[in-house]
Amino acid sequence: MMAALLREWRLLAGAARIGLAVLALLAGVAVALGVAEVARTRADIARVVALEARETQAIIGFAKGDAGEFGYYRHHPVARAPGDLAFIAPARGDAVPAVLRIRILALEGQINDNEAANPELLLAGRFDFAFVTLYLAPLLLIALLHDLWSGEREAGRLAALQSLPQARQRLWSPRVAVRLGGVAVALLLPLAIGGAVEGAALPRLLLVAALVLASLLFWTLLALLVARTPAASSTQAAVLAGLWFTVTLVVPAAGHLAINAAVPLPDAAAIARENREEVHAGWDRPRADTMARFVALYPAYRDQAAMGTGFHWKWYFAFQHLGDQAVAADSAAREAGIARREALAQQLGWLLPPIKVAQALQGLAGSDVAADLAFRARVRAAHRALREYHYPFLFHDRPMTPADVAAAPQP
Amino acid sequence: MRVQRIAGAQLRLFVRSRLAVVALLLLLLLSAIAALTGAGQAARIASARATAQGAADAAFANQPDRHPHRMVHYGSYALRPLGPLAAFEPGVDAFAGSLIYLEGHRQNATTAAAARESSGLIRFGQLTPAFVLRVLVPLLLVFVGFAMIVAERQSGLLTLQLSHGASWRQLLAGKALALAAVAGVAALPALAALGLAAARAPAEAGVALVMAVAVLLWLGLWVLGITLVSARARSAQSALLALVLAWAVLVVLVPRAAAGVAALVHPLPTKAETDLVIHAELRSLGDSHNPDDPHFAAFKAALLKRHGVARVEDLPYNYRGALSAEGERLTSGLFARHAAEAAATQMQQHRLLAVAAVISPAIGFAQAGMAGAATDLASQLAFLEAAEAHRYRLVQSLNRLHTFEVRAADDAARNRDPIAERQSRVSAGFWAEQKPFAFAGPTAANRMTAMLPGLGVMALWGLGLLWLLRRSPVAP
Repeated sequence: MMAALLREWRLLAGAARIGLAVLALLAGVAVALGVAEVARTRADIARVVALEARETQAIIGFAKGDAGEFGYYRHHPVARAPGDLAFIAPARGDAVPAVLRIRILALEGQINDNEAANPELLLAGRFDFAFVTLYLAPLLLIALLHDLWSGEREAGRLAALQSLPQARQRLWSPRVAVRLGGVAVALLLPLAIGGAVEGAALPRLLLVAALVLASLLFWTLLALLVARTPAASSTQAAVLAGLWFTVTLVVPAAGHLAINAAVPLPDAAAIARENREEVHAGWDRPRADTMARFVALYPAYRDQAAMGTGFHWKWYFAFQHLGDQAVAADSAAREAGIARREALAQQLGWLLPPIKVAQALQGLAGSDVAADLAFRARVRAAHRALREYHYPFLFHDRPMTPADVAAAPQP
Repeated sequence: MRVQRIAGAQLRLFVRSRLAVVALLLLLLLSAIAALTGAGQAARIASARATAQGAADAAFANQPDRHPHRMVHYGSYALRPLGPLAAFEPGVDAFAGSLIYLEGHRQNATTAAAARESSGLIRFGQLTPAFVLRVLVPLLLVFVGFAMIVAERQSGLLTLQLSHGASWRQLLAGKALALAAVAGVAALPALAALGLAAARAPAEAGVALVMAVAVLLWLGLWVLGITLVSARARSAQSALLALVLAWAVLVVLVPRAAAGVAALVHPLPTKAETDLVIHAELRSLGDSHNPDDPHFAAFKAALLKRHGVARVEDLPYNYRGALSAEGERLTSGLFARHAAEAAATQMQQHRLLAVAAVISPAIGFAQAGMAGAATDLASQLAFLEAAEAHRYRLVQSLNRLHTFEVRAADDAARNRDPIAERQSRVSAGFWAEQKPFAFAGPTAANRMTAMLPGLGVMALWGLGLLWLLRRSPVAP
């Protein structure tokens, strides 16, 4: 068996070897870019956290222990720290921020903020390991496998080769194995190096490898099915390239159109305006009404609801929260709509294994829609925890000492 | 004459190839879907944004009597309008936030980007007329045309034709003409979409025409390239592999790789970091929280001196309003500087892509189309700048009302005295007088100029391919 594989490797045309080398190089570049981007994202987050700490010190200087001033001025960075597999499909440069600074004012005006990214680069798409696996590796496989039989037929050798005893085991299987194995190694070697650099958990890294192999296996089977037909090698190549481009370009693009048409979302601009109207109406509404509505949600502060005619932070933050409450249903419907769109896309993925592999790779890298939604959920939880941390200070007029400032929940 | 005859014969061969006809029909169907949904979607988005802008303007204009500083915090919204040609090429629209909340003291991030509202499929590309022309039509042309010359050489037909008096150059021209005809048919639905968009907005006809020229140039490159490879390849199979490889590299690989390199070479700071840096810089410029801040102390002293009074209460206007205006001036200066830096970095990234277009004219074609449709990076940056300028104008105009229309004594007492509070409000009539946000986008002339680099790169490629074709020998 080993001898047969070695023989097939020696027989592999120079162009095919160059193709494998170029694929390995591209996969290596993609992994290196991914590792660099992940490192930069971590550095971005670290810088923001450090700058925020300085900013908080400055606020301690002028807030004089007033919890309301802290609530108004102090921001809390919530980060999407890249995981151990982020390098295979990094989210850097995404419209979703890597770190979002929130404060305990109405969240609706904060949680939708986009990163100040260059949209032209986002439009182009990323050059990452997932891209090399999904787009480039199948093309090379098709080039290597489409004329497995037709190439020999056109060279006039097929009949002689087929008449060899056990041709399948001795000839064709090793031939396919060398080609598939070559492509697999070209992808998995850079992946392994990237995984080692990033200290990726071995089971997760093996899962990525399994996904890559599944995608390659899909294309190998498809290529062999077409190669089996009696058509000319160029027809086989055209059919396979057509299938590749249908699976990786046409169907996803058409699916995107159909899904967005099928699942409409509540208008973002209308929700933003409604939230603002509710928050600002708080200044004009009878204060007792605002406080009554707030303590209905937070009965623990029922005895602190009364207030005079002057400004009080507890009232201010109460109507901020009521502004969020007013659009909570619409906002949740929007997120549910986005989740529904992604669920439909995942279902489409089950029909087309390469799409499913791409989706799974993005999922493992933490750069898919689910990760964005999970981040939003985390931001909401952090906002809630921070609000509820500030409420006792605000409602009991307790000063916020530097120790209290430091003890605020870390998002 | 002979060229036309050769082209006609080749076209009949194309029509007889079932694979080519089926592929062309499928492409026309896809292209028609893209054109129809593109037009529908662009019209829907444009009207939704116009409606939202109108609602935001009306909400502002209809506010009751208020203290001007309340209106500074109430703020308004700016929405990026979508031009009529976006139906053909939506460009960066889905990836750029289309909504900004404008308020005092802050320069907010954009929100509402379609890419964050869609499934992950959006990363595979959007089915738009421009996408069909950039990505799908070239591959169809490859499938249809790869064998047109090399197969005839392999079968000996070529020698036969040449011995019957056709020159090699006439043969190449005829084959290229036949493939160009296929390209023309394949491009029809997308070009019709462009024509329809231009017909709906006659002012856009000039730009649309230049965009159509870009399309013809782009597809012309493929016609020339395929003819060249088919003329020089050793076998039909190697022609096909070379052309599919060229397509994958030029259309799929290089644009992404160039974007990755651009992001790495010209890094863009995160919005969070920029905001924090601005806060820190602001404190060193003038800390409005510090009563003894030198900047604001000097500002106050200068005002008192100019009016020859000893106390701010004796100024002929409301000092608080003047102070707010000065604070806004300081913060907005920093916003403008950092926004200009971020815009410059993004334009550097854009120019790096424009240079990469020399390697892959697909980038040049995409940049030219987006520039023409006003859905490019420059249009988005212009929108951001216009929104910030509007924000500053609006806030300072409210600060002027605060300074000159609100009595200082009422302003100082409004938190404890309900009568002073009522008197500190200014008339609702002022809100309706504020000019609403309007953004026309780059002019047609500017957009055509912005298309030039892309057009130039494609023309350069065209000349190079023509030169290679003229030099290509009869038998490789």
